[in-house]
Amino acid sequence: MRRKCSGVPLRRWLFAAPALVLVTVFIAAPYLNIVVMSLRSPSNVQTFGPGFTLQNYVRVLSDRLYLGLLGDTLIYAAVTVAFSLLLAYPVALHLARTQSRWRGLLYAAVLSPLLTGVVIRCFGWIVLLATQGIVNDGLRQLGFGPIQFLYQPVGVIIALVHVFLPFMILPIMNAVEAIDPRLEEAARTLGASRATVFRRVILPLSMPGVQSGIILVFVLAASAYVIPMLLGGGRVQTMATVIVQQLLGGFLWPFGAALALVLSAAVALLLVGFALITKRAMRRLA
Amino acid sequence: MSRLTVRELTKVYATNPAVQDFNLDVVEGEFVSLLGPSGCGKTTTLRCIAGLEIPTNGRIRFGDRDVTRLPPEKRDIGMVFQSYALFPHMRVAENISFGLEMRGLSGREARSKVDAVIDMVQLGGLHERYPRQLSGGQQQRVALARALVVEPALLLLDEPLANLDAKLRDEMRVFIRSLQQRIGITTLYVTHDQVEAMIMSDRIVVMFAGRIHQVGAPREIYHQPATRDVAGFIGQSNLFAGKVVAREDACMVVETAVGLIRCKGPLGFAVGATGHVMVRPEALRLARPNGGFAGRMTEQHFLGNLVDCRVTLADGTAISVQATGEEISRPGDEVGLLVDESRAWLLP
Repeated sequence: MRRKCSGVPLRRWLFAAPALVLVTVFIAAPYLNIVVMSLRSPSNVQTFGPGFTLQNYVRVLSDRLYLGLLGDTLIYAAVTVAFSLLLAYPVALHLARTQSRWRGLLYAAVLSPLLTGVVIRCFGWIVLLATQGIVNDGLRQLGFGPIQFLYQPVGVIIALVHVFLPFMILPIMNAVEAIDPRLEEAARTLGASRATVFRRVILPLSMPGVQSGIILVFVLAASAYVIPMLLGGGRVQTMATVIVQQLLGGFLWPFGAALALVLSAAVALLLVGFALITKRAMRRLA
Repeated sequence: MSRLTVRELTKVYATNPAVQDFNLDVVEGEFVSLLGPSGCGKTTTLRCIAGLEIPTNGRIRFGDRDVTRLPPEKRDIGMVFQSYALFPHMRVAENISFGLEMRGLSGREARSKVDAVIDMVQLGGLHERYPRQLSGGQQQRVALARALVVEPALLLLDEPLANLDAKLRDEMRVFIRSLQQRIGITTLYVTHDQVEAMIMSDRIVVMFAGRIHQVGAPREIYHQPATRDVAGFIGQSNLFAGKVVAREDACMVVETAVGLIRCKGPLGFAVGATGHVMVRPEALRLARPNGGFAGRMTEQHFLGNLVDCRVTLADGTAISVQATGEEISRPGDEVGLLVDESRAWLLP
């Protein structure tokens, strides 16, 4: 009897073991390593010096340069979130409700940014956004002077929005699909116009999808490295590009680790705040 | 004047006609059911009247107002859906006041209307609940209250009881009917349940394959069905194919394979016309072998208040008979069948 009782949880643990090992080895351990590294003392001749110190964190949090960098990174991420939300919502709404036989094709088009490597896509944007590129040619035809997209935050944000758009569209689409079309019809029979139905029924009920999309895109955009590196061309710096400079260029491992953890902590704090703000609205939908 | 007038309504999907040439007049305060098997077009008809579907052809008028081209929000209707379609993110009171709010009503006036309708559907004390915290029966009442609170010109119900268990369904039939009578609201009710339609309606519209087969009071539909489909869908029926051989005033004499049957029927059956005599199982009486049509009892099921019998006639047709229980025949016995002529009905 006793054996049987203790046997079930044990077997459950066994099933969970592969995932547990994977998480421990490839996520928890490296993270722990970074935490330890960030507490080491810096050294010019070795990876790190002897003993432990909080000096790296003090340097990050007291230097205007790094705080400004953190602010820039979070602002780029927030702007990316805002634009992807604006672009994604109508697409998600259409995809969720369309009866068209092209639905599969539209779906594939939404996923297409994920089908090529990020480096290839960035070079694509460089070609398009260059001063002599197609976009500026078009603008010239319309009588606008060439706009400097490349090596400016605007170019970085355009590429970020493009790449992370699917992560905003898909959760919103799922949320809208889960809304019973009868709810819209009921609202109509009660006297609500299409616009009112959207505002009072669809929008509030799709909020869980919007919330997921915002979190996903924000996290991805705040930690993006390749896009700001290639489209920023060294003139747009984010936390990610600076961290890589510290690690590979300066070999300042302890300081790079501290920068990385400060970024993670800032993003985590913002997300907790966001979750708290939206909690009340979400509870109504639970 | 009719509260609702539907003329030549037709709805075609791609190439499949869902509803064809539907005509109906519903008077003020009347309760009319659309009855038929699934896929007969009854829900499509209701959705056209609600404005949720655009008819391919035909006209719909509420009173003297032509609403055929109006969107649902301009029609002044109240609708209850099979799934209730309550807004999950709104409390009971918010769900109910939604329609009032859309009409620009808020504050104390709206609250008192909501309170009144909540009392009417006996949901007192549940104002602040969310729909998911309610039972199926309570959700149903909220849906009803939400439709009624705006005092619509027309109440439309689409199989509202289909998702309830049997006991609650019986209760709600009576509840909805008495509520409808009390407030006198013109009501159109879609159902596939013939008992439901019988109990609740002033008149029933019986539909098959997109077409109306008969419109009439429940008694009329039951005792004087217009087609074999109607006779078969509503209650049990026995059919005897035959030919009219004589007419005497309201009665006709029909020659069938088992013998002559005297019956009533609609005008329009001339001598020589072929048709079917319909006899309900309770309009047949078992007799001694030499009385009436000769047959043999093949099955017997005791139902308590009556006995359900199967009798095979000389020509092999199986007939169901409902006897009241004092008969002595057993399966295998020769019996005679007597037809109550006043309850035999001729149909095409």
